[in-house]
Amino acid sequence: MLQGRITASVGLNVAKLQDEVCRHLASILVDNAPAKWLQQQDLTFLVGEEERAEEEAFEDGLVAERLKEDVLEQKGRLQRPVAKDVQPPDPDIIRVLRGHQQPITCLVISPDDKFIFSAAKDCSIIKWEVESGKRLCVVPRGKKGTEEQQAGHTAHILCMAISSDGKYLATGDRNKLIMIWEAATCKHLYKFTGHRDAVSGLSFQKGTHQLYSASHDRSVKVWNVAENAYIETLFGHQDVITGLDSLSRECCVTSGGRDGTVRIWKIPEESQLVFYGHQGSIDCIQLINEEHMVSGADDGSVALWGLTKKKPLAVVRQAHGTHGSHSLQQPYWISAVAALLNSDLVATGSHSANVKLWKSGEGFRKLEPLFDIPVVGFVNSLKFSAAGDFLVAGLGQEHRLGRWWRIKEAKNSICIIPLKRKAGVADSS
Amino acid sequence: MWGCRVGSASRSCLLHIPSSLSLPDLSYVSFEELLQMQNGMGMRTHRVTAGKKTAHPAPSRVFSFRPLEMSAKKRVPFLRRVVPVTKKVGRDPRFDDLSGEYNPEIFLKTYGFLDSIKKREKEMVQKQLKKCRNVEEKEKLQQLLRRMELFECWCSRDKPGREQQGGLGLQRFTGFSLNLPSLSSAAEKRKLELAEKYAELKRSGKLESFLSKKRKRNAIKDKRRLPSQKSL
Repeated sequence: MLQGRITASVGLNVAKLQDEVCRHLASILVDNAPAKWLQQQDLTFLVGEEERAEEEAFEDGLVAERLKEDVLEQKGRLQRPVAKDVQPPDPDIIRVLRGHQQPITCLVISPDDKFIFSAAKDCSIIKWEVESGKRLCVVPRGKKGTEEQQAGHTAHILCMAISSDGKYLATGDRNKLIMIWEAATCKHLYKFTGHRDAVSGLSFQKGTHQLYSASHDRSVKVWNVAENAYIETLFGHQDVITGLDSLSRECCVTSGGRDGTVRIWKIPEESQLVFYGHQGSIDCIQLINEEHMVSGADDGSVALWGLTKKKPLAVVRQAHGTHGSHSLQQPYWISAVAALLNSDLVATGSHSANVKLWKSGEGFRKLEPLFDIPVVGFVNSLKFSAAGDFLVAGLGQEHRLGRWWRIKEAKNSICIIPLKRKAGVADSS
Repeated sequence: MWGCRVGSASRSCLLHIPSSLSLPDLSYVSFEELLQMQNGMGMRTHRVTAGKKTAHPAPSRVFSFRPLEMSAKKRVPFLRRVVPVTKKVGRDPRFDDLSGEYNPEIFLKTYGFLDSIKKREKEMVQKQLKKCRNVEEKEKLQQLLRRMELFECWCSRDKPGREQQGGLGLQRFTGFSLNLPSLSSAAEKRKLELAEKYAELKRSGKLESFLSKKRKRNAIKDKRRLPSQKSL
């Protein structure tokens, strides 16, 4: 009893004694110490060497690694080091798909990386096949008389989302409508009304058919597409909401434009987390993993955010440089950001004639530039494929929200940019 | 374990036992047994029963960098609160508690310096009036001068009354053997004022003009009282 008390009061952590000499001493202690006290200590280091080798083999096994990854993904801390292996692509392998008459406003890639859905200012939606580059379906703009027969949008489509099983496609336009389409056939299914101003952000919760929508009326609405039902509305933004994104958790993140805030909406708890510290109007946002996101603003700054800090973890000012005459230098607006899921690769787009790729540092505390991909026009939308094989950019002659500038040399098209990895590196996904 | 004797009061405050509880004499109980008792009850219940508000430690300043958490169900007002600008609330020193109670003596003392300034200004206006050639300007200056004189007269008229009261007050407080004068009634006050006015008018030499004006006014008033010629 006395010995046990002495060791406890001295604070000897037996589990830390890993050295051979210390192990010897520890074994002496173990022999003499009382049974009850021994039970409370961690004595795995005293296990024989053979058994330890078996354990290590198990740990190296793929199953364990996969499980570890899953746990990290759930926690939101998974960061696959992909960025260092990505190489700048050759200009001749970049494919340009043309079909829209007017600038492209938004696009989504189907979860199996086979199809791309794009929408433009001519209120049409086109479904493309990635491999061949062919147009599979075209949903033209809706005409005044034929609303029942031929459903279509009558105003600019500002946002799109596709469910994670590839079944439903949702599109939102400036006429306060959200249209639900069947992704496989492009057939119109439902129409969601309720917003009081243009619908500017849409996102499905991963793994479910719950849809989040954000609008210029400063509210976020939750819908269930499978049951064609409206669930609830959330308030908090002080200015128009410019972007929305969500992952598998029941929460979504929105960027608030001129009110300078990024908000995370925790739907089951009916609360919001407010982040600020970005100057200028925050125009686009994407989640990198469950706990980190990247946003772009119209003062040219790109910021990385973490859930625990109200200010951004890393900010890069004037990411795309400045333009204008000598005394009136204005930073290029960041019109689109994209992040490869659960990795450290970030892409930003503006009208500075290139798409920039960035590498986020350890713990998302830094943002370093990697290389540029030359494109011509306004990059109105950027999306990474699920596997990280290619990056799709939606280009246009004008900005997706207005006609402040017009680049005549640009073509209204979709660019598929394959991302090559360095040879000899196995793709872990 | 040590078995030493400690005063029950000091021990109870060490162990957060509320003094309201009537405890048996704990002075001969060893510390080890006391600790065991406390462990049995638990620190949290101890703290709560001892009357401390929460069992949790106060939030440290470390958490100030976390994002603000708010309710997502409250509607946002139409006008955006961009910069918190507070409306400038005007303060009326007459009705504000900050100015304190009005004390005429203190007020006159502190603002007594204004009398000299007013005198100087009056002299300036008089000089300008002498120099001035323009008829309109002369009229304006004359009006200004008249206003200044009236104001001076009004101010000085109030002062003697106050001084009198002040004098009376002083007399009241110095010694009880003095014959205290009776507090003058309103009629007597008016008489005093009238006497003063007479003295002043005589001094300045305007007595005749003042008296004639007064007689005329009284005559007109009396004429109104008399029956008119029409009624006859």
